[in-house]
Amino acid sequence: MKQLAILSGKGGTGKTTVATTLSTIVKNKIMADCDVEAPNLNIVLQGEIIEKQDFYGKETAVIDKNKCIECGMCEELCRFNAISNFEVNPYYCEGCGLCMYKCPVEAIKLVEEKTGHVVYAKTKSGEKVVYAELFPGADGSGKLVTEVRKKAKEVSDDNDEYLIIDGTPGIGCPVLASATGVDLVLIVAEPTLSGFADMKRVLSAIESFKVPSVVCVNKWDLNKEVSQQIEKYCEENNIVVVGKIDFDETVVKALKNLQSLSSNPDSTAYQQIYKMWLRIKEILDEGVESK
Amino acid sequence: MKIAISSEGKTLEAKVDSRFGRAQYFIIVDSETMDYKVIDNAAVAQSSGAGTKAAQTLIDEGVQVLISSSVGPNAMEVFKAAEIPVYKAIEGDVKTNIELFKNGSLEKITEATNQGHHHH
Repeated sequence: MKQLAILSGKGGTGKTTVATTLSTIVKNKIMADCDVEAPNLNIVLQGEIIEKQDFYGKETAVIDKNKCIECGMCEELCRFNAISNFEVNPYYCEGCGLCMYKCPVEAIKLVEEKTGHVVYAKTKSGEKVVYAELFPGADGSGKLVTEVRKKAKEVSDDNDEYLIIDGTPGIGCPVLASATGVDLVLIVAEPTLSGFADMKRVLSAIESFKVPSVVCVNKWDLNKEVSQQIEKYCEENNIVVVGKIDFDETVVKALKNLQSLSSNPDSTAYQQIYKMWLRIKEILDEGVESK
Repeated sequence: MKIAISSEGKTLEAKVDSRFGRAQYFIIVDSETMDYKVIDNAAVAQSSGAGTKAAQTLIDEGVQVLISSSVGPNAMEVFKAAEIPVYKAIEGDVKTNIELFKNGSLEKITEATNQGHHHH
């Protein structure tokens, strides 16, 4: 199974639009929504939940009332002000463990806390989608991204040729966990200065992985000058630009109606993403030389 | 020479794990005798900082070379500072990658920063 991760650096460039559209174009694939703090793939794909698995994403301090001598040291030490009246507020506790190490009577221990679910769903047409659901206030993490990818692998079978990973914006831990060990990274860039800068940032963040990356410029015609700069940069760095997608109001309308772009297969954007997939498929199937 | 390699299983026949920080296991192989030791990668359970933790573990084990597929930027800094060269694994089992390393066929991802420091 070939793995494609979709990243952007900057948020709002159209990662999920590209991912949902690809999900209707590509057959024999699994979709993994690794934008775990704001999962929206399944909102559009509307898959039905098959399985929910608990995720323990955090450790929280718990005070044993029977052992506690109410000395107040933990409350004084806690940098997150998570302890008052000898009780821990789990929303404030970061699980750093300082109170546990310092408690003079060993009354405090760290307990794993359930912070969400890893969900496996299937769409009406039988397409597999894996995503995460975090409880309010819980943090996303590379660990959760890893769990989502693991689940996707678990539910895959021999017919699944591709795993398409919708990544998260930024260049942090969840991004690296989304990109590690994949066959190809698709970066969805937008022609703004911050879009261009963040594209370069994400490219440098994953550079040491030596994973081949390709770029698509979304809404390229909104700023042709920056689009040209992005293309020039890619050319200079041997990065293939696999597609340029027009700003197309059909996309806006489809998203407003919680539909994927495939409801409008004649639209310019859909046609461009379709053509882009053919190029990506070629690269994935033949393998690319790493940079 | 002590070579660490990220692995999906606990034997020399196991597949190389394509991840580094969240690899299931590390196998540390003595390249002369081919004796090996398996390390359960505790960093898998970290919500973040898995790469640097795994790197620290390997350094504490005294490894001299790392073979892996996807070493992230933070872990890479650690290996640079520790002067441990990192080589890119190819798909396949641990044994094959060790053999390829021995005859110089694996691509080096990072140079050890100060090779003159050690007396080879």
